[in-house]
Amino acid sequence: MDQTDRDLLNEIQSEFPIAPRPYLELGKRLGLSEQEVIDRIKRLKEEGVIRRIGGNFHSSRLNFTSTLCAARVPEDKIYQFVKAVNRHPGVTHNYLRNHDYNVWFTFIARDMGVIENALEEIARETGVSDILNLPAEKMFKIKVDFEV
Amino acid sequence: MVDERDKKVIGLIQGDLPLRPRPFALMAERAGMSEGEYLERIRDLKSRGILRRFGATLRHQEAGFSSNAMVAWVVPEKRIDEVGKIFARFREVTHCYHRRPMGQWPYNIYTMVHGSSRDQCYEIAEKMSKAAGVKDFTLLFSEKEFKKTSMSYF
Repeated sequence: MDQTDRDLLNEIQSEFPIAPRPYLELGKRLGLSEQEVIDRIKRLKEEGVIRRIGGNFHSSRLNFTSTLCAARVPEDKIYQFVKAVNRHPGVTHNYLRNHDYNVWFTFIARDMGVIENALEEIARETGVSDILNLPAEKMFKIKVDFEV
Repeated sequence: MVDERDKKVIGLIQGDLPLRPRPFALMAERAGMSEGEYLERIRDLKSRGILRRFGATLRHQEAGFSSNAMVAWVVPEKRIDEVGKIFARFREVTHCYHRRPMGQWPYNIYTMVHGSSRDQCYEIAEKMSKAAGVKDFTLLFSEKEFKKTSMSYF
């Protein structure tokens, strides 16, 4: 990654143009042609630096609810448990973490009833019943763009 | 709230923007509307705060942030607001939420901390602990990613 890549990454994280020719617009800001911008983004995607370019929404303002769940899963059940959890399209993030509560996932759905039902079903299917459901009471910060 | 045409816009921009000179025109065509209306609806969703952000999402590791920790804190209930705001000011903190404790699980503030190493995550957590005067916390490092995707709403 060179400095131009870094400048481009900072620009497209927080100031992506909502305009008919966004890559041309970005090129003007960075002194590149439209095609150079497209080629650089294409390469940064191939290298795995950029996951996607798109919208991130406040789920609550779309009348969805979200929560953070943590489960205490025995080593030999992790694969089965993760499979049962990830099957739900509302599960967007799922990580193994170094704690007794070792599987942590986020769950977005129409309402909490849907999530509670899904958790019960997962518990029944996998025999893992120690699952914490920790919906947010208040958000103090969400800022996922990084100065690179 | 959002109408049916907004839902068509959301259904497309929750995915990945095409790497073509006029990417929004391509999406607008798929949504059955003009490029102008499509762009206007995106701007409107943003100004109404429904669209939190439009732009690139990076893979942190590849972008040089090789370590991240979820730091969970036990904060006295009456200090939640004050402490949440202190934590939110740290630039290394990307997420800061208050969540109710549950059963034997006492933690009530959750912060995502990003650094270049695990040691650096510990250092950041120590700094936060001192700044807020909160001593009871734990760092949970991600050891494996099982899923990371963006939500499909519509």
